[in-house]
Amino acid sequence: MVDRSLYKETLLRHYRHPHNKCEGELKGADIVRRGDNPRCGDEIEVGLYLHDGHLAQVKFRGRGCSVCIASSSMMTEAAQGRSAKEARQLCADMQAWFQTGDGGELTDPPEDLQALSAVREYPARRRCVLLSWEAFDDALRSI
Amino acid sequence: MAVAARDINSIGGLDAQSVRQDFPLLCRAPLAQGLHYLDNAATTHKPQVVIDAITDCYSGYSGPIHRGLYPLAEEATRRFENARLRLAAFLGAASADELVFTRSATEAINMVAWGWARERLQPGDRIWVSRMEHHANYLPWQRICRDRGAELRIIELDEDGCLDLAGSPELFAPQTRMIALCQVSNVLGVENPLRELCATARAHDIPVLVDAAQGVSHLPLDVSVLGCDFLACSAHKMYGPSGIGLLYGRAQRLAEMDPLLLGGGMVDEVGEGTADSTWTGVPARFEAGSPNLAGAVAFAAAADYLQELDLDRIHAHLRMLTSAAAEALTELPGLRLLPRAETPRSAILSFTLDAVHPHDLAQVAGEQGVAIRAGHHCAQPLMRSLGLMATARASFGVYNDMGDVEALVRAVDSARRLFL
Repeated sequence: MVDRSLYKETLLRHYRHPHNKCEGELKGADIVRRGDNPRCGDEIEVGLYLHDGHLAQVKFRGRGCSVCIASSSMMTEAAQGRSAKEARQLCADMQAWFQTGDGGELTDPPEDLQALSAVREYPARRRCVLLSWEAFDDALRSI
Repeated sequence: MAVAARDINSIGGLDAQSVRQDFPLLCRAPLAQGLHYLDNAATTHKPQVVIDAITDCYSGYSGPIHRGLYPLAEEATRRFENARLRLAAFLGAASADELVFTRSATEAINMVAWGWARERLQPGDRIWVSRMEHHANYLPWQRICRDRGAELRIIELDEDGCLDLAGSPELFAPQTRMIALCQVSNVLGVENPLRELCATARAHDIPVLVDAAQGVSHLPLDVSVLGCDFLACSAHKMYGPSGIGLLYGRAQRLAEMDPLLLGGGMVDEVGEGTADSTWTGVPARFEAGSPNLAGAVAFAAAADYLQELDLDRIHAHLRMLTSAAAEALTELPGLRLLPRAETPRSAILSFTLDAVHPHDLAQVAGEQGVAIRAGHHCAQPLMRSLGLMATARASFGVYNDMGDVEALVRAVDSARRLFL
């Protein structure tokens, strides 16, 4: 039987121990953008730390469900070291991957992001995945 | 989990397992295999008698209502008005003319807000709602108050989630033009003491609207005893079809109300140019357009079905299940019943679990065949006062039994363990 469960080990690991998550302010960030989902009360702020046109680091803070927190954590890992252009492409790929629900593949997908694949089966949770990515994309557009 | 034995399934005289046989979806649909449906406050399933009523209508007597002079049209009209009559009797209305078919409870409340209350509101007047209202019984009042410079006042809740009437001493003040309250909270499950409140309001000549969307499926209801001026409910939350609801209005109030939807079937004489037109009598005045015949007869079939099961027995059964669920859930570490364990509830209970987002909780439960709801339940003013953005909610129906309670507790416990 195919395991349709949303809660893959990788997702749970990122939820329990999120990477690049701040408890307080996103101190020293060059750009900060926020995403809200009033439907479930999730709020995420994404901060970009730039160096020579590249993303030296991406951090986030806020509250959300396991899918939202894990997706944010994976995003900050996947974005690190990329140029703004590369990062925007990654955002576009993620959007496409979730909008279509099938088909579309990520170009050069960081391995952990594959753990979100199961969420594509649950349209009601797509917004949980994409909340931080939309804030991230918004921040990238202002560079 | 220590949940009381299954032999209390029939406490209150309702045999849920046998009732379940009346619901073809629950018995036979592939998606219902192993399903514990505990989202009845969102919508209920339909017994065979309701489905048959729809089929019988379309295969036996479907036709135009109040518009035809041939036998089929006359039969359609007779069936439609008979449905109104049966629903009026179900609610205890003095006459079938006090009952207007609408698309939903939401539409019914909006009709009263816009068609009755708005024109009567002056700057400084007040409309009272409670902290526990669904958006459907909040937003229409908020909007007309804004438009007319009136004030929307809130009856706050006490620590048990019950109306704090002592804390609202101005409720029956001369400025109050309307009190709009739910019969049962769609989040907390508390039942409001509406009879006493309606009696006091009547003595002050203040109309009361009751949003009965969550109560009508399990609380015996008689508007002549309750003493409200308006009452709104929806068929799909009481085992009836979707897309139809009703507005009860005391004859005098309906006579004062303006129709909002204008068109066929509600007008006597259409004036020339911009001249005034004259409306036909109540309730047809409020039912512009071709009526929902299949919806109406199936709605009445649902009311008959509830009467046959006996609302007192239903009420006792759902209270028993809700209490058993509350008791078993509170044993789980980190689980909080809202607003607190002692809250008196019927049929609905909301809860949170430490470190587990309600959406994750509902998803894990869903993966185990337990259908519950997560979110703000269209009650953001209440959520804000609870300091929460979302809760998980389980709500019981006539086909639920202790097996469903056990499954709920198991599912919540497994979510707790998964996110430890």
